[in-house]
Amino acid sequence: MTATQLETDMSPPDRRGAAFKDMLSRLAKSAGLALVVGLLIFVFVNWADGFTGKFNLFNLTRNLSVAAVVGFGMMVVLALGHMNLALGSTALASVMIMGWVMKVAALPVPVAVGCGLAVGTFLGLINGWLIVKTKLHSFIITLATASMFLGAVLIVFRAGPISDLPREFTGISKTRYFGWVSGMLLITAVTGVVLGVMYKFTTLGRQMLATGANADAAELSGIPVNRAILIAHGLSGFLAALAGVMFTARQGSALLSTGEDWLLASFLAPLLGGTLLAGGYVSVLGAFLGAMLVGILQNGLVLIGVPDFWVEFVLGLTLLATVSLDRLREVISARRGN
Amino acid sequence: MKMTKLSVMALAAVAGFTTAATAETKVALVPGGPHPFFANWEGGGVDAVSDFGVAASDYRVPQEWKLDMQNKMLESLVSQGYNAFAVFPGDANGTNAMVSELKDFGAPTVSIAGCTQSPSPVEFCLATDVYKSAYMGTMALIEAMGDEGKIVHETSLLIDPNTQLRVAAVEQAIADAQADGKKVELYQHLTDVDDQEKADQKINALLAGKAHEFDGLVSTAWVASVVTSKALRASNNEDLKFIAIDHDKIVLDAIRDGVIQGTMLQNPHGQAYIATYALDKLLNGCSIKADAPFTPTPQHETFIDSGTMLVTKDNIGNWEAEMKAVTDEIMATFDEKFLDCAS
Repeated sequence: MTATQLETDMSPPDRRGAAFKDMLSRLAKSAGLALVVGLLIFVFVNWADGFTGKFNLFNLTRNLSVAAVVGFGMMVVLALGHMNLALGSTALASVMIMGWVMKVAALPVPVAVGCGLAVGTFLGLINGWLIVKTKLHSFIITLATASMFLGAVLIVFRAGPISDLPREFTGISKTRYFGWVSGMLLITAVTGVVLGVMYKFTTLGRQMLATGANADAAELSGIPVNRAILIAHGLSGFLAALAGVMFTARQGSALLSTGEDWLLASFLAPLLGGTLLAGGYVSVLGAFLGAMLVGILQNGLVLIGVPDFWVEFVLGLTLLATVSLDRLREVISARRGN
Repeated sequence: MKMTKLSVMALAAVAGFTTAATAETKVALVPGGPHPFFANWEGGGVDAVSDFGVAASDYRVPQEWKLDMQNKMLESLVSQGYNAFAVFPGDANGTNAMVSELKDFGAPTVSIAGCTQSPSPVEFCLATDVYKSAYMGTMALIEAMGDEGKIVHETSLLIDPNTQLRVAAVEQAIADAQADGKKVELYQHLTDVDDQEKADQKINALLAGKAHEFDGLVSTAWVASVVTSKALRASNNEDLKFIAIDHDKIVLDAIRDGVIQGTMLQNPHGQAYIATYALDKLLNGCSIKADAPFTPTPQHETFIDSGTMLVTKDNIGNWEAEMKAVTDEIMATFDEKFLDCAS
């Protein structure tokens, strides 16, 4: 049961008690995840040669900054109880158009980045609009649009990647603080704070969570559910594009493989962080910690000599274990009558 | 003990993480993705370790042909202690960004088997002169065809700059032969046949439906060479002459059995061997001479030809020794031509 549901069913004192319990449960969840991340860092610092190397930490934080934004992109639709399987294709379409504007049309970098972000937002809005109009599940709609976006990009950009992007743009990925912290982490942090503020303090954020908790109840309460869906998917598209822009800055080229293998990571970060698959609750900090856990796990396992395909196996297993544990917690909670 | 190590690590973290300098040379030989051509790099690295006392020269293959996969692997290899790199560029332009980061880190990089687009931060590019190889292969085919007939050229993707050079070389060879009074002409460039599925479909369809319309084939793609060798063996078509590329066992067996006429060898073993030697030198005080006699190509300014040779039935028993001689020849003058180790 989510915080939003509790608020609609209970009297004020009960509601305060439930909210306090819920807050404690959330904190415990994030603290637990932080503990696991800390434990992993301890293990890899001691047993993975090269883990604390300057170059490794820089790359770790740089990859983390992209992975966290990818996770945020999925988190904002998970808040509705939806999913966005077109996240990778949206990022691809955005960066290819950004690359074209930057390299072929030779327009200034900020204009090109703006175009890329606008394309991502637009494609996200298309997803949202189709979901609202057809009333079909977001799984079906975004599965279809994922193929459509990918196909369209391949038709238009059949000549391959757009390489040799300007240094003014790729320089974003080379910025570092203290010699080892990627400057791109700042973009991720700002994004996370904005999302956190939106969900915690704005009407729009609460409307999205209420829609995710129970769309029918939200509609009856006068919440503009369709608008919330539209905006959440637009935001998901924007975040996919932002992750794509960061990824492209790091690669130095707009690649046709952008976003191709983001699907697992996009679910892993928010779900590990406590965001509910059914909607109604998100944790921005949790999603960031989730991305951190995945990034550190991937990096550390490779450094201790675990082959790449085993790393993929471990990541899949982590997702399965997380979702299963969450389900177990719900069952136990239901049996106790909470 | 562990706690002490942890404390030191934590201190290093606060201080800003310094990377310990290493006197050992650990070379990583990284192709753009899995492809049989690169398998001989492994032996080249092993031989270089044994001959030059290099700490390591390891062949590490990205799981897929994607620039981001290759970049991730390179990042991870730096973290694992590799400090010099020989790479086949995943993207002629895109790889430059990663190489630039490796250079900033103090790890020299050379591109082997394929070149980055100049201007490039790689120290040099050591690869087959694809124009020369395709030209020689076409000339050998023309001779095998008795100086007359129509030629099919099997090659890779047209967007690959090397393919453009190969196409130009085949056309130039045919033009030169015609100028010498030989009655040869180009029938078709069959592109995008360095992929198993596409090669199977396109080559078998061509041989099944149009084999009577041309007289010989020259391949500049590994997979196409294998598929064509198999198809010619299966069809027993002795009228068609074929010059392949590279050293797949199927191709070499076909030459031995007289099914096809020859193959243009490249020098992957030598590429890895020479690159490891040069990278070790570059890490130990040498630099590339400002006036080194590189042979610029349209793609790359600091190009070194890693050698190519024609293998036919006459020299098939001895091709490895002959190719080693090519490597030895490059090595004999490498320091003098390309390295400045005065300091």
